[in-house]
Amino acid sequence: MPDFDADRKFKQDVLRMAGPEVQTCIQCGTCSASCPTAHLMNPSIRKLIKYCLEGRKEEALKNDTIWLCTSCLLCTVRCPRGIRPKSVVAALKDIAEREGIKSKDAAYEQIFQKQIREYGRISELPLTGEFLLVFPQAAVQSMQMGLEMAPRGKISLEIEKIKPAGREEVKRIIEELGGE
Amino acid sequence: MKLAYYPGCVSLSTGKEMDLSTRAVSAALGIELEELEDWNCCGATHVSNELVATGLCARNMAQTDLPIMTSCSICYSNLRTAAKQMEDPDVKARVNAVLTKKYSGANIRHALDVILEVLEKNQDLLVVPLKELKVAPYYGCLLTRPRGVDSPEFPTILEKLIKNLQAEPIDFRLKTFCCGGPIFMPQQKAAEDIAFKILSEAKKAGAEVIVTVCPLCHFMLDAKQKALEQKRGEKIGIPVLYVTQLVGIALGLGPEELGLNMNSVSPMPMMEKVYERIIE
Repeated sequence: MPDFDADRKFKQDVLRMAGPEVQTCIQCGTCSASCPTAHLMNPSIRKLIKYCLEGRKEEALKNDTIWLCTSCLLCTVRCPRGIRPKSVVAALKDIAEREGIKSKDAAYEQIFQKQIREYGRISELPLTGEFLLVFPQAAVQSMQMGLEMAPRGKISLEIEKIKPAGREEVKRIIEELGGE
Repeated sequence: MKLAYYPGCVSLSTGKEMDLSTRAVSAALGIELEELEDWNCCGATHVSNELVATGLCARNMAQTDLPIMTSCSICYSNLRTAAKQMEDPDVKARVNAVLTKKYSGANIRHALDVILEVLEKNQDLLVVPLKELKVAPYYGCLLTRPRGVDSPEFPTILEKLIKNLQAEPIDFRLKTFCCGGPIFMPQQKAAEDIAFKILSEAKKAGAEVIVTVCPLCHFMLDAKQKALEQKRGEKIGIPVLYVTQLVGIALGLGPEELGLNMNSVSPMPMMEKVYERIIE
């Protein structure tokens, strides 16, 4: 049996985070036609929005589509209804993260956000290092880039941190504004 | 002109030459930069919760009353988006409730826009005209999206700057096509396919150099160029410069000041051509 209450709540959550205008979607497909990774997406971004509006939570969350979004915002600029499809993607990522749905892509975002929460800034080397523990398949690419960057003095071994008071403030921003 | 400067996290590692050249060109143009006090990451493209993303940017913007300049299109887009979000009184109240210094408004500018403005009034500073240099203007996404200095569909500000340096902007079909950068770690193939398409197109269009306004675009097109060439068996060999590096060359600044030795594809052969053309 589908969980109707959960599905209704899912739709409401998406609308709250991505904006009520999502309901005005006319399924024209301008978003999908504008997307640089559309050819790899299944479902397409257009269909993903339809799933959200129909409360089809499982189908909306369990796919690679949201993780193929490059945040290029072309869909958002072009939508004739003023919907921000990228914000729908962001809402779905947020829901997926809260529900603990695991994937390499979700892990990358979590490591990225953890660095901001702890240090206030991103340090690329530790970010890459931690991601490799989750997804060792990225090692070849990372090594290649490391060899490219290191001799040019573009790899910092330091962990970048802002001041303690700033770190407290950043933590507060993430915890208090993200807890809703 | 005095501006607050937001370098962004990348400026401390893989985008060092972006930061170096931004500071050098600003100094040469008489733009005084005051680095933003204890700035934090803007969230890049990896903070899904929009209120948190707004809060992170608002903390940065609350550190100064000056207009804020950045060379990174991701930071630029995020700061502008946050400033727009903060126009909503409810969002502003919720965000300000957690900020130490309260946000009261901000003017966000991209280095490209600031430089062009100053350069147009100071043409005498162009000591090395980039005569006949064929430049591919590569905008990527976030300089103009969701809203920025120029049209998100048909921007021309880069072409304007390139012409100002007496170089030739080529007609570059993929100039606003995404570089794939934000997903290059977890979705390597998808990102590389896109980046290679852009490089290949620039080559076909006859570019001698590609100019970028974003460190992630730069990373995808420059740092990854060699690896992509090997993978696809096609030579590209086009240097990719930050817009600040290209302007710096025209202002007669030295390679070290502009971090030209930090680019993966050496711009030195291109520089030689530039100098040869001036002598001719």
